[in-house]
Amino acid sequence: MDFDFALVVSSLPLLLEGAFVTIQITAISVSLGICIGLFAGIARISHFWALRALAAVYVDFIRGTPLLVQIFLMYFALPVITGLRIDPFVAAITACSVNSGAYVAEIFRAGIQSIDEGQMEAGRSLGMSWSQTMRYVIVPQAFKRVIPPLGNEFIALLKDSSLVSVIGFEELTRRGQLIIARTYGSLEIWFSVAVLYLIMTLTISRFVAYLERRYKTDDRH
Amino acid sequence: MIDIKNLYKAFGEIKVLKGIDVSIAEKEVVVIIGPSGSGKSTLLRCINYLEEPTAGEIVVDKIPLNNESNINKVREEVGMVFQRFNLFPHMTVLENILLAPMKVRKLSKDAARADALALLEKVGLSDKAQAYPAQLSGGQQQRVAIARALAMKPKIMLFDEPTSALDPEMVNEVLEVMKKLAKEGMTMVVVTHEMGFAREVGDRVLFVDDGKIVEQAAPAVIFEHPHEERTKLFLSKVL
Repeated sequence: MDFDFALVVSSLPLLLEGAFVTIQITAISVSLGICIGLFAGIARISHFWALRALAAVYVDFIRGTPLLVQIFLMYFALPVITGLRIDPFVAAITACSVNSGAYVAEIFRAGIQSIDEGQMEAGRSLGMSWSQTMRYVIVPQAFKRVIPPLGNEFIALLKDSSLVSVIGFEELTRRGQLIIARTYGSLEIWFSVAVLYLIMTLTISRFVAYLERRYKTDDRH
Repeated sequence: MIDIKNLYKAFGEIKVLKGIDVSIAEKEVVVIIGPSGSGKSTLLRCINYLEEPTAGEIVVDKIPLNNESNINKVREEVGMVFQRFNLFPHMTVLENILLAPMKVRKLSKDAARADALALLEKVGLSDKAQAYPAQLSGGQQQRVAIARALAMKPKIMLFDEPTSALDPEMVNEVLEVMKKLAKEGMTMVVVTHEMGFAREVGDRVLFVDDGKIVEQAAPAVIFEHPHEERTKLFLSKVL
């Protein structure tokens, strides 16, 4: 077995570009996913049944279907309905954020429900509305508790973003495929791609561990 | 100040309040006593609608509790102190007190801060403004909770077993603050097991058992000459 280090070195710039794109999709999708997830998570426990039902349908649909199929729906099926071609970047970001939002919604819902009921009662008894109490009292506390599961979601999404390679979007995995098509260096390239993913996920998990330590202030009563 | 008529509350099948009628006057200090599970906390929590009555009528400061906007109005006028303090753990003591006056009363930060510092002095915790709740003892936390409720300048204060979660040596510091409030003429409704407090500070004592007011009278009467057998039995156990 020959491992061609020269091939790894020569492919590295292209792979790094791909990795950068992977980071971009992940970062944008996670940010959008957190926004979507925060609203959907709160909607899941709202007292308006219509909101609750809508959020439940969204979460069930996304969690009950593969991301790959969601990407196909976004890229191939949606244009059939709208008649507009969709840019692979937009399709990739949209599919990933909408997907992530559903998982984040469940994370936030659990985080919010883990906060002692007395906090909401204290807020309400002071004359604050439900949404004011959510905003100033409950969500800031829930945020700290959801840092670890959000970190996991971040890592999962980074890896899952490799799926957008199927619509020809040139992130890390797609770059790897393209280089292999030219050089036949399956071993070297897939190995390099794996190492690059590993570096990114390890960096994120370290960062999350740091955040967790930093925000680990006392919230005992 | 508070008028409650024919109040019923059930949690599913379990009937907790079975027809409560009571009126509380301005500046009156009413102490509610009774065995655990008798419904006394539920009664208190109905007054600011933390519990939704199954039936009955509650009017607080001439505002009937019958729609969302009235409920919020009443909550602005009625302060509540909980057994487990329920301070906001992610905020400093000062921020805990400032939050509602700024968000609900729309006070400027400076105005709210001046009030808050005066209240902290009143409860004897001026030096703890920048501390977080977790850094305080139970008694100190409960005094902050009282200051936080007072910051909304309520006309009525509700106390739900405010000393039950405290170590014995901290009970007095909280009771002292409550006595001070009573002397200043605050209308107060207090659910408590502190019979000494009831006797000393209460204008009227309600004995609640099995979802009903069994007996009510001035503390001297209820503690010295209770009429009802159930009251006698209860008092013989706690006094």
